[in-house]
Amino acid sequence: MAEVEFDQASRIYTPGAKPAVNRLDLIIDDGEFVVLVGPSGSGKSTALRMLAGLEEIDAGQIRIGGKNMVGVASRDRDIAMVFQNYALYPNKTVGENMAFPLKMRGVDKAVQQEKVKAAADILGLTDYLDRKPRALSGGQRQRVAMGRAIVREPQVFLMDEPLSNLDAKMRVSTRTEIAAMQRRLGVTTVYVTHDQVEAMTMGDRVALLKDGALQQFATPAELYDKPANVFVAGFIGSPAMNLFTLPVGAEGVRIGSSDLALPGSLHSRISSAGQDTITLGIRPEQWAVGGDNGDGAGGVKAQVDVVEELGSDAFLYAHLDDEKQTPVVVRSAGRSGARRGDQIALTPTSEDLHLFSPETGERL
Amino acid sequence: MTVTAERPAEVTPRRPDRGPGSRADGWIRRAPLLPALIFTIIITQLPFLFTIYYSLQSWNLVRPGSRQFVGLDNYVKVFTDSQFRQVALNTVLLTAGAVIFSMILGLLFALLLDRAFFGRGFIRTLLITPFLITPVAAALLWKTVLFDPTYGLINFVLSPFGAGQTDWISTFPLTSVMIALVWQWAPFMMLLTLAGLQSQPHDVLEAARVDGAGTFAVFREVTIPHLRRFIELGLVLGAIYLVNTFDAIYMMTQGGPGTASANLPFYIYQRAFLGFDIGQSAAMGVVVVVATIIVSTFALRLIFRSFSGEES
Repeated sequence: MAEVEFDQASRIYTPGAKPAVNRLDLIIDDGEFVVLVGPSGSGKSTALRMLAGLEEIDAGQIRIGGKNMVGVASRDRDIAMVFQNYALYPNKTVGENMAFPLKMRGVDKAVQQEKVKAAADILGLTDYLDRKPRALSGGQRQRVAMGRAIVREPQVFLMDEPLSNLDAKMRVSTRTEIAAMQRRLGVTTVYVTHDQVEAMTMGDRVALLKDGALQQFATPAELYDKPANVFVAGFIGSPAMNLFTLPVGAEGVRIGSSDLALPGSLHSRISSAGQDTITLGIRPEQWAVGGDNGDGAGGVKAQVDVVEELGSDAFLYAHLDDEKQTPVVVRSAGRSGARRGDQIALTPTSEDLHLFSPETGERL
Repeated sequence: MTVTAERPAEVTPRRPDRGPGSRADGWIRRAPLLPALIFTIIITQLPFLFTIYYSLQSWNLVRPGSRQFVGLDNYVKVFTDSQFRQVALNTVLLTAGAVIFSMILGLLFALLLDRAFFGRGFIRTLLITPFLITPVAAALLWKTVLFDPTYGLINFVLSPFGAGQTDWISTFPLTSVMIALVWQWAPFMMLLTLAGLQSQPHDVLEAARVDGAGTFAVFREVTIPHLRRFIELGLVLGAIYLVNTFDAIYMMTQGGPGTASANLPFYIYQRAFLGFDIGQSAAMGVVVVVATIIVSTFALRLIFRSFSGEES
């Protein structure tokens, strides 16, 4: 068990080109579950592989338990990794797969058996110990990969999208199991995913990366409530936050043909920033929907294109009646009766709308 | 209300008398394949039957009129012929030696090539070249350019060390032939094992490294099990081809001195076309074919099993 520290860690594949991981700074506490999330090519897997010793650390340092890992081989880092495709040894049985890290450390045979058996009990693999991986289902293979990591009792668990090859239902149940197991074992864990739902539900803290650079490192709630910039705002939350870049008026902002009055506190924030345009972020649930009958007076006019009825609530995909027909997503109550083609009037309900600088994208 | 689907009754297939699936229909489907089958029988099975027939005759071409039916007499002579046993042993040694050493060399080369370095494509091509050379030319090359006691490069290279006077081919005839064969076949083994190495999933290798395996442990625990079927395939294919080696022996040693470097195909050739003993050589041919069928049945079963079973 150990603290993990990325200190300006960089991975540069081609000198001169943009680094795959660019001066990453993270301090992961002992026993913490941290999720690295980001779109494809954001460098999240590369960062994990740097920690695993599978990629070079070209600049900066990565420390595990205070020890610098630059130049240290994977086998000497006291880590265990779960791979996306599980990477089981096809010629070894489940038991041999799980015992392999112990065997490589010269652990006594009897102790190996004991630990493998204990891990197999936890993971429900006891009946499969003599099978080869190819005779297992995807979910079982995933468990074997977990088991192989657990028997090691490493300082750090590394997981590289371990759920992406499971079906949707299995993914949800395994997600909770992994999170629960990590809490019980208390081993520092770094988990990579591109799925923001996994990131939000599993992590104590979430590090969001884009183009190799850290965007924000915070708890899931903070990431959702106070996104540090436009990218974080757009990435976290499903459907994504509505982002509009708008001219600032006397009392609010101008959307399409209508003036949108903003609550006083927000408006004072805008004036104090001294901007004449602003990027306004409104989550789908931060809208109140009014209809044609005038109860949405003063709201923003929009026309519904698609209704996604989910039962408990519904998402309306609409466009504003401005020149660009800016798309907008709105969450409304389920079975609200909204249909394609309806004219609606939208009013922001919350004071906690998000304001970003249009130039830098940073939160104001 | 829940509707439960009723389980369908068991369906037993019935063979119709007419139409699709009937016996006549089966023959209609097979008919287009018959010419190929007949052709195969004519060119492979008929000669074999003739050979069996000849093997029951005493028939020497240099003694006209001596031809007569002698039953299994030729076979008795084959099994009591000490030269035949010597040559059979030579065949086993030559085949096994050439296959095993070329596999070891090929695997080494494949391991060296299984990484990115400058000029890899060029070096790979160079390493494959021996396999592309006509066997006769390769044998000639080894005999005259390398092994020749007077002009050979090997003696030239060794002469500064005072060891350049050996007539390699007459001193070590079987080994010399084997070296030439290894030189030609190592590239084939290299290609096969290289294909195996490059089809190895990277994440499994990485997992082994994270799990604490050093380079040699990764090779022993992960790479070799993965390569097993490629190695088996190489050994079996190489053996099938090399057991029939003729050109190298013919060019380099003529089977000599005596029968020291003759293998079965060469010995049978000698008995048939230099000794003109058709009956004897036919009997030897039959013995070799039967032995080959037995060995190859096991060998082929081995590769089919490892290729159908290990695929995940």
